[in-house]
Amino acid sequence: MGIKDILKTKRLFFDGAMGTQLQKRGLCAGDIPEIYNFTHPEIITEIHQNYIQAGADIITTNTFGANELKLEKTTYTVENVITKAVNVAKDSIKDMKDKYIALDIGPIGQLLEPIGTLSFDRAYEIFKRQVKAGAKAGCDLILIETLSDIYEAKAAVLAAKENSDLPIFCTMTYDDTGRTFTGTDPLTMVMVLEGLGVDALGVNCSFGPKEILPIVEEIIKYASIPIMVQPNAGLPKVDRGKTVYDIDPCEFAFYAKKIAENGVNIIGGCCGTDELFIKAMIEVVKPVPFVIPNKKHITAACSANQTVVLGNEVKIIGERINPTGNKKLKEALRNYHMDYILNEAILQMEAGADVLDVNVGLPEIDEQKTMIHLIKEIQSIIHIPLQIDSTNKEVIEAAARIYNGKPIINSVNGKEQVMKEIFPIVKKYGACVIGLTLDEEGIPKKAEERVKIAQKIIRTAQDYGIPKENIMIDCLVLTASAQQSEVMETIKAVGMVKEKYNVKTSLGVSNVSFGLPDRQLLNQTFLAMGLTQGLDAPILNPLDQGMINTIHAFKVLSNQDKEAKKYLQEYENRKGEKRIIEKVHVHEKDLKAIIIQGLKDEATKEVTKLLETIEPLKIVDEYLIPALDMVGIKFEKGDIFLPQLIQSAETVKNAFGVIKDKMLQDGDCKISKGKIILATVKGDIHDIGKNIVKTILENYGFEVVDLGKDVPIETIVNTTKEQGVRLVGLSALMTTTVKSMEETITALKESGIECKIFVGGAVLNQEYADMIQADYYAKDAQVAVEIAKTVLGSSSIDI
Amino acid sequence: MHIHKDEVLRYLGYRHQNIDENLDRLMDTCIEETKQCVQCKYVIKVFDIEKDDKHIELLGSRLIFRGKDIINHLQDSNTCAIMVVTLGNHIENKIKLYEKTNLTKAVILDACATTAVESLCDEVQKEIEKQANSRNLGITHRYSPGYGDFSIDIQPMILDTLEAYKKIGLTCTKEKILIPRKSVTAIIGFKDNNITTKYSSCKECSKYRDCTFKREENFCGN
Repeated sequence: MGIKDILKTKRLFFDGAMGTQLQKRGLCAGDIPEIYNFTHPEIITEIHQNYIQAGADIITTNTFGANELKLEKTTYTVENVITKAVNVAKDSIKDMKDKYIALDIGPIGQLLEPIGTLSFDRAYEIFKRQVKAGAKAGCDLILIETLSDIYEAKAAVLAAKENSDLPIFCTMTYDDTGRTFTGTDPLTMVMVLEGLGVDALGVNCSFGPKEILPIVEEIIKYASIPIMVQPNAGLPKVDRGKTVYDIDPCEFAFYAKKIAENGVNIIGGCCGTDELFIKAMIEVVKPVPFVIPNKKHITAACSANQTVVLGNEVKIIGERINPTGNKKLKEALRNYHMDYILNEAILQMEAGADVLDVNVGLPEIDEQKTMIHLIKEIQSIIHIPLQIDSTNKEVIEAAARIYNGKPIINSVNGKEQVMKEIFPIVKKYGACVIGLTLDEEGIPKKAEERVKIAQKIIRTAQDYGIPKENIMIDCLVLTASAQQSEVMETIKAVGMVKEKYNVKTSLGVSNVSFGLPDRQLLNQTFLAMGLTQGLDAPILNPLDQGMINTIHAFKVLSNQDKEAKKYLQEYENRKGEKRIIEKVHVHEKDLKAIIIQGLKDEATKEVTKLLETIEPLKIVDEYLIPALDMVGIKFEKGDIFLPQLIQSAETVKNAFGVIKDKMLQDGDCKISKGKIILATVKGDIHDIGKNIVKTILENYGFEVVDLGKDVPIETIVNTTKEQGVRLVGLSALMTTTVKSMEETITALKESGIECKIFVGGAVLNQEYADMIQADYYAKDAQVAVEIAKTVLGSSSIDI
Repeated sequence: MHIHKDEVLRYLGYRHQNIDENLDRLMDTCIEETKQCVQCKYVIKVFDIEKDDKHIELLGSRLIFRGKDIINHLQDSNTCAIMVVTLGNHIENKIKLYEKTNLTKAVILDACATTAVESLCDEVQKEIEKQANSRNLGITHRYSPGYGDFSIDIQPMILDTLEAYKKIGLTCTKEKILIPRKSVTAIIGFKDNNITTKYSSCKECSKYRDCTFKREENFCGN
């Protein structure tokens, strides 16, 4: 009987600590424990055998840190270490029946992007080597443990699934906030890991068995698969320079029993536990009846640290990141202006969106590349879950793979071919999917027929192993102006789908009003109609306050917002709302004074007013640039300091925004004094300084191609070449990354591109800049502007 | 956790310019927000040390310190404490978010976080001082990799030795940048209270002329 079958019939006992056992036997702090497989195999065997004698069913190989990064300093390869460790474990078991070997895989030890610099793909490759070596050496299952980053866990699980057929157990470690260090809560962990198809999940390390209980209880509420728990031997204390754990085997066993009684089926020990703990635990836990976990049927989308559960109350899917009919977004996508799109994301979140739809389908851009880049960027700054919206299966797969969390995929429909293409992706990455009720014949007129398609989608999904809770049905909204008689069919279909199949529903609400005046009124009314039929997740524009109001009101009337708490909070305060507004000290609202004082909102108003009578370019030349110059001089003289400089720069940025909008409206002209590439070099992740320089350069009319931070040399070289850029600005904050700056400069020079390079960053000075052969050193943003003027010229604005 | 506004201003390169009410209020908001976002965590480990003129060996570990500045720092010590502290990822994330929506706030928040991590270091240092006092000893000031000729290449070993990833989620990149970014590793020597060490002042630092962060009095500690 394989482990997967055993999981259905009985409780499994794991061993206890390896690391602390090795420390007891002489392992020094900072030593690489995996070396002991070679230098002291007898010690590893002894530890394994002790656990087996204590009654453990599964022993864990001494390979926690056997990844290529941690082994770099040694003379051993990943394959050497893992093969040896599995063999030592096998020797320890000998011919004993019903004993199994878990290949231990711990965290890589470096944080993944966007928090750190390790890429998801690189993490995958690292884990892949471990999995392949372990599978080849003959381990029985893969244990991924003590992870604190769910993204890293995803890379590890995918590596395990794609490179072996072994059962996968995955446990994470939590801190006293009830989350992992990178912010994942138990619900999110369960949703993501279950989706990825692990065989057991849970928590290890973290605390002692008593303190770990609340986390275990949370996990149990949500998990539909077996749960695994390996607590420490209490809390660590330092006693005469040594770390000791504060409980004895008896107490450990007492709480282990409670853990088991809660429904935990796989149990063992972590730091500080030894064979006595495991023995005591098994004795006490063994009589606890075995229970198979029941299915929870939760429909949810997650980021790394936020889960949105659908069904309990209406959730809003923000629709604004979609180029269809959106000129500014199209423009931003074409020019790779991520900041504009990120701002759209932030605004929607702040307006109350629970999930954001992300669609970047423009024929003239590389959809896959843009989608991946944008998802990473959005996920690096906000935490609401995303909905991957594309008609291209490659784009969907690539996006679902690098997405951090459990995404919603938008969409499939009743067409055989589409389901065949998309469902395997949905299954593999454990996503939710929106099913549109249309098929080869188009959109049926009648509700009944749409319900039939919904049924087909749900059933086919189940054939692919996708549970019903991961499906959301969209009964499709038609416009009242063209197909008035069918509007009610949509509403009717929502109700029928809910009643018949009990799946969650979604609708692109605002389609209904195309071609009619006062669209907001129709949208709001239609939204309310849908909500009464059980619409769970309308896709709409969260910046449309009317729509949000309708939802707030509906939540009260449908008893979702208990005691109207949120409603009262939202609307009662509005009456006497006293927003803190910027104090204006200028008597005459002169734009220059507004800029110098850094009054962002005032600037927008003032520019809008000026635009009524003055040409946009004249405002730039006669107001904005002179004001900026004045601010620059004040900064250089020390009359103002950094935050004041930035405040003024942002004020100009706002003013520029208004002017650019106006110019976009009037025709397709663009302000550009020339393109500049800015990048924080490979290996460095400090980009606040670079962003200040960017804002100020843009204010002077330069077009900045911001490549972000930790930018590979080839990206900088290629972009410079492709876009014919004549000035490149590089930033580095650390002495260690100035090396990478130097390499970038060398690569740029060797490529033969005619461009000048300026550098900046805390550790640099003129001397250093000369040494690494930069053309210019910019000690601050103002100097960067002077450099840009010298290289690109400050002649009048090109149109 | 106390975040001194004066310190925040110092990190922002403040030189007695006039601060209007708006900016002053924004600073207060940032300080409050920082306090709410920080997830202070630390690990302390105490080691006996063995020295020669080129190395310092931390007994019971594989750590060896090299360089005249760290040797100088621990010249009067036979024991030292290593501390690693972090403010966690949350504050980092806030700063990133504001970089997109309100750069002024991002810059101030960044300075607040820097102040906060130093403030956390002060608290941890007090804890270390208590441990030293219990042995009838005092402590040196804190000294971090990256100061003088003490290379930051030692970071991964320090983190491994203190199990910093497992205990507080602190890691470092290939380039030795600590992540979460608002984190510090430092070494404090235990020493006889009767020995007084003369601390440097900012004026003696090689960076005095260019440094934005120099203190008018005393020493910035870096």
